[in-house]
Amino acid sequence: MRHALALKIGPVSFRIGSAWREPLAQLERLYAGYPAADEVADFTVRLEPATPWRRFARPSVAIRGDYTLPDAAPLPLPLGLLAAEMGMNLQMALGQKRYLLLHAGIVARDGEALILTGASGAGKSTLAALLGEQGWRFMGDEFGLLDPETGFLHPFPRAISLKNAALALFDGADPGRLGPVLRGTPKGMIRHLRPPADAIARMAEPARPALILFPRYGRDFPAEDRPVGAAEVFVRLTQASTNYVSLGARGFDALTALVAEVPARAIDYGSSAEAIAMVERLWAARA
Amino acid sequence: MSGPESEIGEQSGDRPSRRAVLALGAAAASTVVTIRPALAQTAGSVLNCEIPVPSTQAGGNYIAADGSLVPAGTAGAYPPAPRPITGEEAKVLLNGGPTPAGLNAEASQAYANYIRRLQAGMSGFTCYASLQMPR
Amino acid sequence: MAGPRYIADPEDQVQSVPLEGLIVLYHRPSGMTHLLAPPGPQILAALAGEVGDAEAVLARISEHFDLAADDPAAAIAARLGELEAAGLVRRV
Repeated sequence: MRHALALKIGPVSFRIGSAWREPLAQLERLYAGYPAADEVADFTVRLEPATPWRRFARPSVAIRGDYTLPDAAPLPLPLGLLAAEMGMNLQMALGQKRYLLLHAGIVARDGEALILTGASGAGKSTLAALLGEQGWRFMGDEFGLLDPETGFLHPFPRAISLKNAALALFDGADPGRLGPVLRGTPKGMIRHLRPPADAIARMAEPARPALILFPRYGRDFPAEDRPVGAAEVFVRLTQASTNYVSLGARGFDALTALVAEVPARAIDYGSSAEAIAMVERLWAARA
Repeated sequence: MSGPESEIGEQSGDRPSRRAVLALGAAAASTVVTIRPALAQTAGSVLNCEIPVPSTQAGGNYIAADGSLVPAGTAGAYPPAPRPITGEEAKVLLNGGPTPAGLNAEASQAYANYIRRLQAGMSGFTCYASLQMPR
Repeated sequence: MAGPRYIADPEDQVQSVPLEGLIVLYHRPSGMTHLLAPPGPQILAALAGEVGDAEAVLARISEHFDLAADDPAAAIAARLGELEAAGLVRRV
C-alpha cells in the first residue's frame, strides 16, 4: 500500500496500510511517544478505497485487513482515523488468541487492576479515562487482555475514544493529546485522547486483577452499589468477550479463575464525582 | 434454582442421618443455561454495517411485498434498493419506524421483509444478526 | 415401560467449577460452556460413561441423596430433556 504505519500497543503490534496519507498522519500524531513497533506485526489493517473509483471522487474508506466483517459500511475519508481505530478493534476482536479479551476499561494502582465492565454506553470507558487522569495507571478503555497462563491483565492503552458529552469532562487535559474532531460518525461526534504519559511508559507492565465493577451512569441515578454473584459475573463476562469461545478450555479456566478469586459489585451514579468516590471507597474495601 | 440442603434427621438413640436433600425441580423449570456469546454483538458494535437489498448475489431480481426474491419486472414487486440500508436504518424500519431517506415508502416495507428473511451466508446477515442482540 | 436410554461423556471430558451453588461446566467434545443448577450435575454424574434410562438415573441419584419432587418421573424427564438439548447427554 502507498502509505504504512507500524504501532505497538501493549503486547500487540499493528501494521496499518492506507491508500491515503492523511489518516495515517493523524494516527501518527495521536500515538506520538509510543514505543517502536516490532518488525513483524501481529495484525494488519488496510484502509482501501471501497471501490476503485472511490479513491479520489467522494473518497470512501473500506476497512480491510487480516480479519474483516463482510457487511461493514465504508466511512468517508475525513473519518479515516476512526476507520483505522475500528480496524484495529476488529483485528483484536476476531483474531486475538493469546489473551482472553474482556470488553472492559482497566486501571491499576500498586500492581493491582480494577476491571470496569458492562454494556456499551454505560460509562465504563469514560470512567477508566477519568481515573487515569486522577492518579490511577490507565491500562485501556476498550479491551482488557487476560493472560490465561498467569491470570494477570496486560495493558492495551489505545487512544481513548470520547463521544459527545463525555468530551467536556476532559477540558483540563493538554490539548496536544487530542485528535481531530470527527463529526457525523455512526456514534455522533468523537474525539480521541492520547492516554497519559505514564500509561505509555508502563505499557509492558501487567497487573493482578483485584476488583470487578459494573458501572452504570445515568443523570438521574441515585448513587448505589450492590454485590454481583460469581455466576452472574461469569455469564456477563462471557457476553463481554469476543474470543471466549475460540479460546476453548484455556478461556474457561482463565475466566472461572478470575471470577472465583476477584470480588464484583455493580455501581450506579449520576456524576463523575460520585463515580470516583464510589470507586475509591470500594477499592479500599476490596479484600 | 436452589442447591441441595443438608438435613440431619434424628431418631432416639440412632446416629443422625447426613444425607442431603436434592430437589429435582419443577417440570417447567429451566436448570441449564448454555453460554452463547454474541460475536455479532461485540464485533458489530465495533463497526457500523449495512445491508444491500437484495444481495449482490441475487442477480437483478426484484423484491415481492413479502420480501422474497422474484424475477425482474414481476407485477407488484419492487426493484432493488438504490443504495444499501445501514444497520441503524434497518433497526428503525424493522421496528415500524419511518422510511430511510431517499427510499420509497411502499418498497421499504418489502425491503424490511427481505431483511427479516436473511439467512447465514447471505450478504447483510451479520449486520441483521447484530441488530437482534440486546446491547 | 422402559423409556429412552441416555449416556453422558466420561468425567475426564468435562471440567466443572462451582460458583455460588451452581456448576459452570466446560464440555470438551463440543467446546461449549454451560451453567447448571442441581440436579443437573448429579444426573451427569449418574450417566457419566454409563447408560441409563430415567428410572436408572433416579435410582443412582437416590443412593446419595433424598429426592424431593412432587412428580419425580416428570422432573427427571424434564431435566434429561434439557441436558439433551444442551448436548450433555445423548440417547443410545
